[in-house]
Amino acid sequence: MARARGTDGSLLASLPWTLLALAFALLPHVPYLPAWITAALLACAIWRYSIEVRRKPVPPALLRASLALACFLGVLYTYSTISGVGPGSALLAIMAALKLLETRQRRDQFVLLFIAIFLVMSSLLREQYLWSLPYLVVGVILIMTAWLRTAADDLEPLRRSLGTSSRLILYAAPLALAMWIFFPRIATPFWAVPIDTGTAVSGLSDTISPGDISALSKSDAVAFRVKFDGVVPDPRDRYWRGLVLHRFDGRTWSGISEPRISSGALKNIQTAGEAVQYEVTLEPTRQHWIFALDIPYHWDLESTFLGPQHQLARVQPIDQRIAYKAVSYPDYRIDLELHPYRRGWYLEFPESRNPRTAELASSMRAAATSDEAFVRAVLKKFNEEEYHYTLEPPPLGSHPVDRFLFETRRGFCEHYASAFAVMMRAAGIPARIVVGYQGGELNPVGDYMIVRQADAHAWTEVWLPGSGWRRVDPTAAVAPERVDAGRTGAMFDGTAAAWGLGAPSRLLHNLVLTWDAANAKWNEWVLGYGPENQERFMNWLGMDDPDWRQMILTLVALVTGLTMLISLALMLRYRPPSRDKAAILYDRFVRKSGLKPATGETPRGFAVRAQRDSPLPADSVRSITDTYLDVRYGPPDPALLRRLEVDIAAL
Amino acid sequence: MHSGSPLEKTPLGKNAGRQALERACAALGGIILDKDRQIALALACLLARGHLLIEDLPGLGKTTLAQALAKVLGLSYRRIQFTSDLLPADIVGVSVFRRDSGKFEFQPGPIFAQLILADEVNRATPKAQSALLEAMEEHQVSVDGDTRTLPVPFFVVATQNPADQIGTFPLPESQLDRFLMRLALGYPNAENERELITGEDRRSMLESVTPEMTPEILTTLQQDAAKMHMSEHLVDYIQALVRQTRESPDIEIGLSPRGAQALAAAARAHAFVERHSGVFPDDVQAVFTAVAGHRLKPAGNTSFRSPAEMCQHVLDSVAIP
Repeated sequence: MARARGTDGSLLASLPWTLLALAFALLPHVPYLPAWITAALLACAIWRYSIEVRRKPVPPALLRASLALACFLGVLYTYSTISGVGPGSALLAIMAALKLLETRQRRDQFVLLFIAIFLVMSSLLREQYLWSLPYLVVGVILIMTAWLRTAADDLEPLRRSLGTSSRLILYAAPLALAMWIFFPRIATPFWAVPIDTGTAVSGLSDTISPGDISALSKSDAVAFRVKFDGVVPDPRDRYWRGLVLHRFDGRTWSGISEPRISSGALKNIQTAGEAVQYEVTLEPTRQHWIFALDIPYHWDLESTFLGPQHQLARVQPIDQRIAYKAVSYPDYRIDLELHPYRRGWYLEFPESRNPRTAELASSMRAAATSDEAFVRAVLKKFNEEEYHYTLEPPPLGSHPVDRFLFETRRGFCEHYASAFAVMMRAAGIPARIVVGYQGGELNPVGDYMIVRQADAHAWTEVWLPGSGWRRVDPTAAVAPERVDAGRTGAMFDGTAAAWGLGAPSRLLHNLVLTWDAANAKWNEWVLGYGPENQERFMNWLGMDDPDWRQMILTLVALVTGLTMLISLALMLRYRPPSRDKAAILYDRFVRKSGLKPATGETPRGFAVRAQRDSPLPADSVRSITDTYLDVRYGPPDPALLRRLEVDIAAL
Repeated sequence: MHSGSPLEKTPLGKNAGRQALERACAALGGIILDKDRQIALALACLLARGHLLIEDLPGLGKTTLAQALAKVLGLSYRRIQFTSDLLPADIVGVSVFRRDSGKFEFQPGPIFAQLILADEVNRATPKAQSALLEAMEEHQVSVDGDTRTLPVPFFVVATQNPADQIGTFPLPESQLDRFLMRLALGYPNAENERELITGEDRRSMLESVTPEMTPEILTTLQQDAAKMHMSEHLVDYIQALVRQTRESPDIEIGLSPRGAQALAAAARAHAFVERHSGVFPDDVQAVFTAVAGHRLKPAGNTSFRSPAEMCQHVLDSVAIP
């Protein structure tokens, strides 16, 4: 290997741009990357820059190789795999950092910028928000600018680099649009991106343990959006059914972890009154549960079934945003008959736990005339006695229900639902907990409803002879406003507190709603442009039921046509380049001669020397010098410039 | 005066002027041996409408060059030998009282010619010198309150012996500035000197020289030379050179804006003589010593032995854009 030479500082002008482009490309990955990789990236960038400033040699090959191996093992150790979006982008990031350390020439910088383009694109595998597109455009412009500044022989003004890269993006935009519209979409993509399952998406958990410290999401993240076709149900009817929990071990409620099909479930529903029709756009949850208003009756989602406890679930987990239409009946009766075996499920109650609750339930049931009267009595107890609704309840011990009911008396929906269900079971009434969302905020901007993670809710269902499963929401008894008014008030307080504002801000809230409406449109029109929308659009264009071959042909024809059109426009706009090009070409000639012109040496003087001392043919030196002088100092003549280019290339 | 010349009958096309210039160049080269650079510079100086100062030891062909120029270019020619008793009136002329008409009548001096050879200009007193220099500047003379215009074109070729000879009045810097160029001829090489000794006498050769162009052609050529293409890069170069003369610690007084103008005009004319497509850096470098050498004042502690060396140093320290 050649001895390591010091860097000559020639990259000083373009290196900051390369670093900036890399940083911009990496920024969307940083929240997902392990901290050590971010730290390594920063360290490598600073290291490389200081090397350039101090004209030091880059680190030796052995050190670089061992660093690469160590980082590779580090990624393997952190993720225990190297495939998937997470480890993939981590590897890409770390390779970019290490490539910096062996960047000695322009060519290496180009490799870095290639990596940057790949990185900025790969962030789309994780999330495709509304702002992803502008970010992507800015990122690519930045990378192209870095590219131009690296490639420019003489440093051109920044404005021109930025202008050139923006123009390139502009030329590419029609092609991108054509490809986006016409590239055949198929329902099941033939490439599968391994989704990063390591990072949790906020959603409902499969179990609830009210004894544990509050894990309730206060997140304003959108769970799903709903567009109603007709009447919007009252806030008190907005119960979005998710999963049902029926197993209780004295502390934790759990349900069926895998979705099950129950052929009889639909038969056991009796409906009355008006149906509610709506379309839900569900954000990915990585779970199987499909949310629908109590109680769903029709839905148009494939491989989705109603389980034995009337919970909707899809066989494949929801890894991508999906939209489905559903019809629900707010007025319903389910399971008028309860199989004795099932009945056992809903009465399960560990005797050793929560003895005081069992005792209280027994005495209250004895005092009540009927099951209905007992239910009312318990709700009345919650309503009239000192029970408080709070999102930050104190932790509970080993008899969580006892402690909650008799001591702390503070909690949120899970606590009340759990306590209520336990009391019902203790009194011999079948009961279960339903987890889902309650409420939702109507967005006037887009005329749809937003249901957020903070709307997550738990309520109970009790089975009473003659009326089947009846929904009872004990939280409503404690904090009626939580259910009646929706969560708008509560959210106001949360948002204002999070922003450090004392008073709720209407303006801010309106901004939030507008932004959400824009996001919804983005999801609907851009991200939602799948096979069906594409087919609809093609039909609208007059292509009846095109197969993918036709579409590819259309795409190729369109892209070719657009390219020719853009090229034609560029050709018509073409102006002969400024004669600075001549200087660039002449520099190339000087480099080929292997000699260095002295300060103040004229091209003619240099030519005399080059004819004598350089291996270049004397005739070419003479004619190139003459042409160069004419191009650079004579009147403008594009033909001469081309001749100079050809002559120098021929050397 | 050249009414019999066939030149007047040929149309003054571009090529005619160009060919006349080539022939003039060749004719001058036949008389002044081995001085092609100086001939090109002298022609460039005249094409740039500038005056020429030739400074060298006696006997190196200064006078011959001036006479040859006048002859070849077809200009009316007068010679003024500058001596210490020369009076301004001896240059510009006097008004003489005519008895028969009872009026004063102006007798034009030798200045009223197209090409003046001011021989040994530093032998005359400053008073006489300034009469000449004012005529050069104004292209007109004032005698007894009347302003009289000098002929067009009007060139002064002055010769000067180096100042260390006895009995001279060296021209002050401000007046040296009036000359576009200062040339030194130098000794001929051995072969050419031999030819000078054995060959035909230069004076008799001059007798047989025929004019190669007319003043009209010369005026056209001057106009063409002034239109020579000068690119932005070359303007940058001239500016850089001028800045270097002002900023160099070896030079006390750098080039004035008029000096920069002179440099540009001379470079244009030189490029024209050399038939370049535009003004090349080589043109600037070729005229730089001649144009700047007599305008720069070296600093007191400088180590340069000659103005030429100082100018070369400036050229060597400015990059060509």
